[in-house]
Amino acid sequence: MLEVRNVSKVYEGKVAYQALSNLNLTVQKGEFVGVMGPSGSGKTTLLNVVSTIDKPSSGEVFIGGQQTHKLSKRQLALFRRRELGFVFQDFNLLQTLTVKENIIFPLTLENVSIKEQDERVNRIADKLGITHILNKRTYEISGGQCQRTAIARAIIHDPKLILADEPTGNLDSKSAKDVLETLQRLNKEEEATMMMVTHDAQAASYCDRVIFIKDGSLYREIHRSNGREVFFQEIMNVLSVIGGTEDEFSAVRV
Amino acid sequence: MNFRQFAFKNVFRNKRLYAGYFFSCAFSVMIFFVYSMLAFHPELSFQGQGNYGKGAQTGMDVAQYIIYVFTFFFILYSMSVFLKSRKKEFGICIMQGMSDMQLRRLVFLENIIIGLTATVSGIAIGLLLSKGMLMLGSSVLSLEKSLSFYMPVKAIWLSFAAFTLLFLFISLFTATILRSSSLIDLLKGTAKPKPEPKASRVLAILAAVLLIIGYAIAFVVRGVLVLFALLPVAIIVSVGTYFLFTQLSVYIINKLKNKKKLYRSSTNMITLSDLAYRMKDNARMFFLVAIISTVAFTAIGTLVGMKSMFTNMISSSTPPLKYESYADNKQAAEHAALIEQALAKRNISFELLVIKEKNVTDTGTNKDFIFIKASDYNRIMKEDVALGQDEARLFYRKDIDMGYDRGISKGQETSLTLEGGRKLAVTENGEMPAPLLQSAGGSSVAVVSDEVFQELPGSKHDSTMYVYDVADWQQTLAVSKQLMTELKGNGEHYRFSSRAYELNDINQGFGQILLTGLFIGAVFFVAAGSFLYFRLYADLDNDRIQYRAISKLGLTEGELSKIVSTQIGLLFFVPIIVAVIHGAVALNTLQNTFSTNLVLESSLVLGAFLVIQIIYFVFIRANYVKKLKDVM
Repeated sequence: MLEVRNVSKVYEGKVAYQALSNLNLTVQKGEFVGVMGPSGSGKTTLLNVVSTIDKPSSGEVFIGGQQTHKLSKRQLALFRRRELGFVFQDFNLLQTLTVKENIIFPLTLENVSIKEQDERVNRIADKLGITHILNKRTYEISGGQCQRTAIARAIIHDPKLILADEPTGNLDSKSAKDVLETLQRLNKEEEATMMMVTHDAQAASYCDRVIFIKDGSLYREIHRSNGREVFFQEIMNVLSVIGGTEDEFSAVRV
Repeated sequence: MNFRQFAFKNVFRNKRLYAGYFFSCAFSVMIFFVYSMLAFHPELSFQGQGNYGKGAQTGMDVAQYIIYVFTFFFILYSMSVFLKSRKKEFGICIMQGMSDMQLRRLVFLENIIIGLTATVSGIAIGLLLSKGMLMLGSSVLSLEKSLSFYMPVKAIWLSFAAFTLLFLFISLFTATILRSSSLIDLLKGTAKPKPEPKASRVLAILAAVLLIIGYAIAFVVRGVLVLFALLPVAIIVSVGTYFLFTQLSVYIINKLKNKKKLYRSSTNMITLSDLAYRMKDNARMFFLVAIISTVAFTAIGTLVGMKSMFTNMISSSTPPLKYESYADNKQAAEHAALIEQALAKRNISFELLVIKEKNVTDTGTNKDFIFIKASDYNRIMKEDVALGQDEARLFYRKDIDMGYDRGISKGQETSLTLEGGRKLAVTENGEMPAPLLQSAGGSSVAVVSDEVFQELPGSKHDSTMYVYDVADWQQTLAVSKQLMTELKGNGEHYRFSSRAYELNDINQGFGQILLTGLFIGAVFFVAAGSFLYFRLYADLDNDRIQYRAISKLGLTEGELSKIVSTQIGLLFFVPIIVAVIHGAVALNTLQNTFSTNLVLESSLVLGAFLVIQIIYFVFIRANYVKKLKDVM
């Protein structure tokens, strides 16, 4: 579904900075992939490149066989709203709209019929347990409800790929659990393909596979084989190594 | 870096943030300066010029005060919006330990810096533009020779002093408003959720009803009644307009939202729901803008209309040159010779008509008539009418009677009875044609045969008209002025008049008032536009966040620009269109009052303002969309 081939990203400036170097990544249909890494490792850059908001300096990105950075600005906008779904850390819901209006927003841009809009929103709201708040405004609902609204908006148009950027970053642990279980269920039941960037190991443990990035290139990837608790422990092990450098340890010993 | 340097750096390194505020200040100064430069122009002394001179001078002075007062409020408003947008910055300063006193000093210093630079640059821009302004002013005033450029020392000093004082006062004023908010409010800035805009159905209907009633009255009233209806209608329409913006507009938007087909297609959803918020937020400002613009439209329309009315009246009733000699005038021949000499000296060809008039009362109806000879009539009208011994033709002047057709202006007489019982049959009873009006004058003229005329008794109201017909009468202004001084205008036994001279008189007086009106109108317009711009600018940060989010979801640039254009367009044109409609209704009523056609003049005025507004809109829209796209 998603294929990232030899992607590099250099930020030009007074001091050029290489955020991604020769990164390769493939996400299969129906897969739930987590991307982890320390601050400054290039997670967000990777997500931006994949989500077509940013262009790679070199290399190619294919989403559903489509080479995204060959598209024009307008085509990209249309591509995003037809083929991609976004879940952000700060929700990015529109304050002037109700929950329901927020969810159907991508459909209205595409001029989908009212009947279909209503059918889809009812089905999804039911699945995500937000039916009772559909007519509320965004400032009247909790953070977890906001994020579930955002998820509903991300999947209402059946996107090929759902991209989530720290979806639990602004939530308390109970809401975070809700949201992650929602994502996992969508992945299992609807076979939605998802890529989630996070630095919370708890969140990453809901994924099928976790990719670790360090200094702009792939560091390791681990697959979930057993239960979530075991996977969590494995993630923690990788994180404990990835966080520091070997030099630090040697300096202490001498 | 000491505190003063901090304040300076804050301003000079933050140019973009301060630019909007700075420009509106500088613009206000410029308008005031250019205006006072015109008002103080040494060649533009109205004291001795024409009958309108004194009034014009007073009008000019009053206008200056109005501009100043309005500028004051405008700058105050700009400043408060400007400070509001910087709440977070002040929060950070306070958190770093800046004391209340220091914060006030900072704001005070900043304002003094901006104020002084704005004053200086406003005056400088005004000076640069002054030659053009003077030329424009001269052409609007239709002055004989265009105003020359001069060093407006007095205007410079006045503007400088007035605005330094104003900025000083405003700086002190705002520095004290600042402290009220708590630190957390300052840091959070404007990011507070706003409740959904709601509108009362009753008030929305009331708005519509009030407007309809006001308009209906304005359409129905005629003549003197207009004066009585003026105030109540103004109040009804004002209240209606207020509710139109606060209630009816939101009500309509909410109704539109219920139309699912419309609301839930393409970008309408976001456009409409944002618009409801913006309408509600800006309703009071819209109301002010609409009312102020209506007043400006109406006033200017009235002035333009009155000017054209007077101009028409004079053109149709005054011949190029005319010397009226009354009974007992011993200088008639001497004066006539003087006029002819003066005309000959300037190579102006003319045709002289000498017409004798007798003032006789119809004993039947007790009405006065000016009698002229049929031969004179034929010469005036270039006709060949022969009248019998007991026949007369009557001509009445069309009355300007404030819309009332009182029915008495048109004669019904079928016969005239002269002193001594002699009766004349009236063979024609009609409206006075222009040449006859110009030559004979008066409100009713009777034409009789030469023989009858000779037999009419003379009186001390009898007169002789020396009518000089000059084809190229526009050229006679200079000679008329010269003659006016030589003949000392109107003597006891004679009267000299000239079309060019009188039109010039009107043009000077009205041109002055018009210029003043246009200036004030321009100030209001610029202010209204700037109000909108400031509102937009204050919302810009929120909009940026919002549009960045939406664009990630897949909003094309075209769609973004469509949403923003619709919104800004509505914000810009709704108040103005309301004002144009109000103004058109008001001018329509005035037209009935003056019984003159104001359509051309008023559509020129309204059209001009609409064009300015469109230019303003195009400029601001492009700027705003560019700013939004910058972050995408």
